[in-house]
Amino acid sequence: MAQKGFNAYTMAQEQFEKVAEQLELDQTTRNLLRVPMREYHFLIPVRMDDGNIKIFKGFRIQHNDAKGPCKGGIRFHPQETADTVRALAMWMTWKCAVVDIPLGGGKGGVICDPHDLSEREQENLCRGWVRQIARDIGPVRDIPAPDVMTNSQHMLWMMDEYQTIFGGQYPGVITGKPVELGGSLGRPEATGYGLVYMLREALKERDTDIANATASIEGFGNVARYAAELFIEYGGTVVSVSCWDQKDSCAYSYYKGKGIDLEELVKITDRFGAIDKKKAENLGYECRPGKDWLKHEVDILMPNALENSITKENVNDINSSVKLIICGANGPITPEADDVLEKKEVVVIPDFLANAGGVVCSYFEQVQSNQNYYWSKEEVLGKLDDKMTDAFHKVWELAKRKKVRLRDAAYMIAISRVAEACKLRGWI
Amino acid sequence: MNKKTKEKKSTNSLSHYQMDELKERVKELDCLYGLTSIVKDGNLSTGEALQKIIELIPPAWQYPDITCTRITIDDKEYKTNNFKETKWSQVSNIILDDKKIGVLEVYYLEEKPQLGEGPFLIEERRLIDAISDLLGKYIGERRIKEAFAESKTAEKKQDWEVIIDLLIKTDPRTLLRMTRKMTYYLYRHENEKITSLLGRVCPVDKGSSSSQWCGINMPNPRQDLDSLKTIQKQIFEIAKESTPPEEISNLFQNWMKQDKTRPLLLSSQKEGIPLLEITDELNRFFSQNAEETTMASEDNISIKTALIRRFFTNRPEYVNIAKTFIEPEDFVSLLGRTIGPSHGSGKFGGKTSGVFLAEKIIKENMEKNEKLKGISFPRSWYITSDTIFNFIHYNDLDETFQTKYLHPDQIRQEQPFLEQVFKNATFPNEIVEGFRRIIQDLEGKPIIVRSSSLLEDSYGAAFSGKYKSLFVSNTGNEEERLYSLIDAIAEVYASTFGPDPIEYRRERGLLDFSEEMGILIQEVVGIKVGHYYMPVFGGVAFSKNEFQWSPRIQREDGMIRLVPGLGTRAVDRVGNDYPILVSPRKPKLQVNALVSERIQYSPRYMDVINLKSGAIETVDAIDLLKEHADEFPSLNQIISIHKDGRLVNPPSILLNPKESDMVITFSNLFEKSDFLEKMKHILFLLEEKIGTPVDVEFASDGEKLYVLQCRPQSQSRGMERKPIPKNVSQDKKLFSTNKYVTTGQVENIEYIVYVVLEEYANLESREEMQKIATIINELNNKLPKRKFILMGPGRWGSRGDIKLGVPVKYGDINNTSLLVEIAKEKGEYTPELSFGTHFFQDLVEAEIKYLPLYPDESENTFNESLLLHQENQLSHILKNYQNYEHVVRVIKTSDVYSGNSLSVIMDGEAGEALAYLKSPDHWSWRMQKVEEIAEKLDSEVHGVESLYLIGSTKEGTAGPASDIDLLVHFKGTEEQKEKLMAWLDKYGKKLDEENKERTGLKTDGLLDVHIITDEDIKKKDSWATHITSPYMSVKKIPLKKENN
Repeated sequence: MAQKGFNAYTMAQEQFEKVAEQLELDQTTRNLLRVPMREYHFLIPVRMDDGNIKIFKGFRIQHNDAKGPCKGGIRFHPQETADTVRALAMWMTWKCAVVDIPLGGGKGGVICDPHDLSEREQENLCRGWVRQIARDIGPVRDIPAPDVMTNSQHMLWMMDEYQTIFGGQYPGVITGKPVELGGSLGRPEATGYGLVYMLREALKERDTDIANATASIEGFGNVARYAAELFIEYGGTVVSVSCWDQKDSCAYSYYKGKGIDLEELVKITDRFGAIDKKKAENLGYECRPGKDWLKHEVDILMPNALENSITKENVNDINSSVKLIICGANGPITPEADDVLEKKEVVVIPDFLANAGGVVCSYFEQVQSNQNYYWSKEEVLGKLDDKMTDAFHKVWELAKRKKVRLRDAAYMIAISRVAEACKLRGWI
Repeated sequence: MNKKTKEKKSTNSLSHYQMDELKERVKELDCLYGLTSIVKDGNLSTGEALQKIIELIPPAWQYPDITCTRITIDDKEYKTNNFKETKWSQVSNIILDDKKIGVLEVYYLEEKPQLGEGPFLIEERRLIDAISDLLGKYIGERRIKEAFAESKTAEKKQDWEVIIDLLIKTDPRTLLRMTRKMTYYLYRHENEKITSLLGRVCPVDKGSSSSQWCGINMPNPRQDLDSLKTIQKQIFEIAKESTPPEEISNLFQNWMKQDKTRPLLLSSQKEGIPLLEITDELNRFFSQNAEETTMASEDNISIKTALIRRFFTNRPEYVNIAKTFIEPEDFVSLLGRTIGPSHGSGKFGGKTSGVFLAEKIIKENMEKNEKLKGISFPRSWYITSDTIFNFIHYNDLDETFQTKYLHPDQIRQEQPFLEQVFKNATFPNEIVEGFRRIIQDLEGKPIIVRSSSLLEDSYGAAFSGKYKSLFVSNTGNEEERLYSLIDAIAEVYASTFGPDPIEYRRERGLLDFSEEMGILIQEVVGIKVGHYYMPVFGGVAFSKNEFQWSPRIQREDGMIRLVPGLGTRAVDRVGNDYPILVSPRKPKLQVNALVSERIQYSPRYMDVINLKSGAIETVDAIDLLKEHADEFPSLNQIISIHKDGRLVNPPSILLNPKESDMVITFSNLFEKSDFLEKMKHILFLLEEKIGTPVDVEFASDGEKLYVLQCRPQSQSRGMERKPIPKNVSQDKKLFSTNKYVTTGQVENIEYIVYVVLEEYANLESREEMQKIATIINELNNKLPKRKFILMGPGRWGSRGDIKLGVPVKYGDINNTSLLVEIAKEKGEYTPELSFGTHFFQDLVEAEIKYLPLYPDESENTFNESLLLHQENQLSHILKNYQNYEHVVRVIKTSDVYSGNSLSVIMDGEAGEALAYLKSPDHWSWRMQKVEEIAEKLDSEVHGVESLYLIGSTKEGTAGPASDIDLLVHFKGTEEQKEKLMAWLDKYGKKLDEENKERTGLKTDGLLDVHIITDEDIKKKDSWATHITSPYMSVKKIPLKKENN
């Protein structure tokens, strides 16, 4: 069926072609990299609670494993399409490559709505999925992880099924496991800390002392909170954070010129990241409309919550003091806004580089699982720092040298690394 | 009591008198029955027999306690222990063969009022004579027997014959009843002789061949039933021939026992019998030795249905069901826990009727159904509905009855004052002492005072939540506790006159009925934790699920709303907290499948009673559970632990409450206890027996599950069922569907926001799709709240792959009244809809309706062109979105058809929903017409002084067939009056025609005119009072002349 309108896969391919053009990749390489190398489409029969059997459709798409075994999530989504999964698998390849970890890109899923399934049915579905694909995944082939509507429980069912089939302990077959059973420490911190490691390096490049830097953060979830924690630890000042207020059904930003006290704010925050408005005001925070977060006179903006947060409509609200924007959320800046920021000479550290801390930590989890030896949190975070710092400098250097945006430089590095690996293997 | 009423014998206590008399008859029968069994007993010597007989006599007299008896025969005396000769005596000679052989004497030990024969009744004379007669015969028989020992007389009389002999002398009415019973009995056994005998006396042949047949609509000729008396003898002879004597004997014994139900039967049939009287009657009957009484099944039915009607409701559906489960004896304990004016005739009201019936049904089925075992009911007390009148009259507050006719604003203004007046008023002593009994009985437990409205019950209107239910902590000394209970009751009474219920009644045309308010008082089920008191959990369960969160859940699967603590938070909708929803038949299909959702939509607060302050408080549930983890029973059933992105059931003993991230999920309650099984059986049993979907409120004290309330689900808030209108023309239908329909109505919609399916699918970037969400958000804030609906492709609130539906969040749509998801076939497949799952529970709590629409399926329609070819209001409402006008269409319903609004009627029971454009309501049309009349009517020519509007058109409640009630203050001549009437008549006919065109309904005399003259006003004619009384509400319509 001819698709009009938006298609994620088409978009991913267009993006690839643009970078391939810049990298002057030959046609063969392009032919290899613009589509997935392997696709598995299979049916999963599941006996439902009422005794009937229902057939579900499952996927696993392995885009490229030249650099190492594929890595990527498993999504449970009722409207899953192969194209979406293809696009996501490709992005995984680039993401692993940009931080230079020895993994390729993959993605999988099942067309289903967990809302319509009991837990037992979901377990059967997970085990069914593994039975269909067991031979083509594994610690040295393809390592799934949680994604949309799947969690650590699903991962454990899958791991258990895999180990049953192969009769051995293979904790490295899957990541996103709980710490008691093959998970890695430092996982909650990974994305937020990774972001700030990169920010620290970027500030060095812009000759700004992080200890004197000020930042405004959108969001107060996991990423935002750990980013703020480390940033403050480095001596920086966060003047504002924002969150969604369920009761008033709108977002608020909380401002304190002297800088927020993370600990006191966390105390008055519920587990969904919503700050208690009254209590915050009592503590001397100014409660403003959510969108105000980007108007503050600060050095750094961290959009860590929503997609399309900075658009052409509000990009001009950004204070001229802002030197750097580091994207914790996925796709927080629209392309038009990106253009405006470039003109304003604001450094934008793109999402796929900035929030790669998560995937690095997944890689560490897999490494630890494979060697059946688990590191301390400090060790995990230390190694994370190395990876992020290194990745940033590679991208920064190229961007500076070629006078391209960081986003483009990051893609160039990622794609060229994958192309190089293919070449070394003699595939092309 | 008996004596008192007898002395005061006045015209209206005639029935009391008859009742007492009847009781005396019963005593006689007891006596006679005893006598016959003694004389029949061959094992007794004459002396023993006579001694037994004298003991039987006093109870048959009016004052058994002060009655003594003596029999003297042949110089031998037999007397009662208390025997003493006094001047108040009744004497009868014992005669044998015309010779006096002895004497029977009855004495009263005290002076008593003068009656028929001194202090004795005429009937007692008859009885004493009958007894001495019997004694004479008995002595005679004995002597013969002694003379011819062992010789048997073939003619020896059966005991029942002896009874008949006695009855002939003493009680012809009872005899007649016995005769009738015997006749029926024989008739039923197809005794030929009786048939022919009856045929002769009372021809039953109604066929046209009968000579007496007078035609189908003519009464049958009357037969002289007195003739039955004449054939009494024959009937018993037939009986004697055809039936063995033992059987007749048994029958007689049985009938005599059954006859003892008569006073109760007659009392129960008495319309509005006073509370005290029927209570006494029930107690008297049931305190008798069970062996001495049997209740004929027809009497049983008559008595219980009468009592059900008397105390519960006249509604045939209820009576029909209740009579299978409620027995007359149940009323003994029920009335023992009833408080009300002793001479009043109040009822219990809907709430009590509901829960009492549920209790009976469940208890009856406990034997058969293992799952129902252990289900409990809180200790309850009942206050009859007339107590409120009693209270109002006692305090001279009668003016409150007029409150309901005041303007709503006025009611609202006066309510706080009224409430204080009520709280400062006093109850009659009799009632206060009743309340004291409640306090004593429920000592140590908090109490809930629930209103139990009669209107709710009789008219099926959902008054739930309209009247107050109040908690009383019931702490302190007895006087303090009594005081706070009285206070709460007065406040509940005052709420009867509150603006909301009155407005609600006005809307439903129930304003003119007096609101009798029964009260149900229950102990609060629960436990003490710290200084708090609360149930471990509570909630409400529905036998039909009106909130299907998955297509796999059917209405029949039911639904439970469950919270920790008092069930109030589950019964009501509370701001930003959520109850746990679960379907008892599909517990595994959770509303919230993802861990994040389960956490987000878990209850965070609980309602508890603070025993220190006596108030209800809302406390942080997790804090309370953590603090009192060790005292809280079944904590493990309530919570899960959030850990590593999963929710795990608590590790029993290893649980460290202070350190754990506890989330209320009730996981273990669902998985490891039989709670859901129990609820399932309760719901479906009650639904089956009551014959309608039910909702049940429940609570648990950690050990037992208590059922607190039960009512038809259609009476629950927001679940009233409305039928789908049938006569809507095709061009006015927007859509109709028959898939996954729940019950609800969305009416008076002014705007339809439609995200055009094709256009949304053609959007080329995520940004554009996000933009649509932004537009929806802004519309949500701009459009009038709850006056618009949202229709759009696929899944509202998509995340990730937002091509599937507009990526809104709950906050972007929270003012809509209905969310429609349209699944249009794309090539081969129909996309699955979200069933609102992204924010399902927010929708439920905000009472936003959800409806999936499958326009490509047969019998489902979607008239999209209605939305595509109207003017798009988008750019009038919001600026800067011209580019998206082809995607988002905002249609004003009044543009489609002038003055119309959109109505969406969803009938889950029938599985149908229809959205259609509705003509301006009947009221506006009528108001317009009234103004026209006032404009056109020449008041001077017709002698009209002024014009008033009353009734439904004035109240704004007019329906399609409602009259327009006009009062015309007329001051002219007869001739003018004739002319006026003719003019109005003609006008009325015109309106009838117009209305028929509008509604298709044929009305006759839509315009209802009442003429009032000055004379009427003087006479206070009922219509005239409308304009003279300050309590009546009329609207004066300005006439032409007044305009000039």
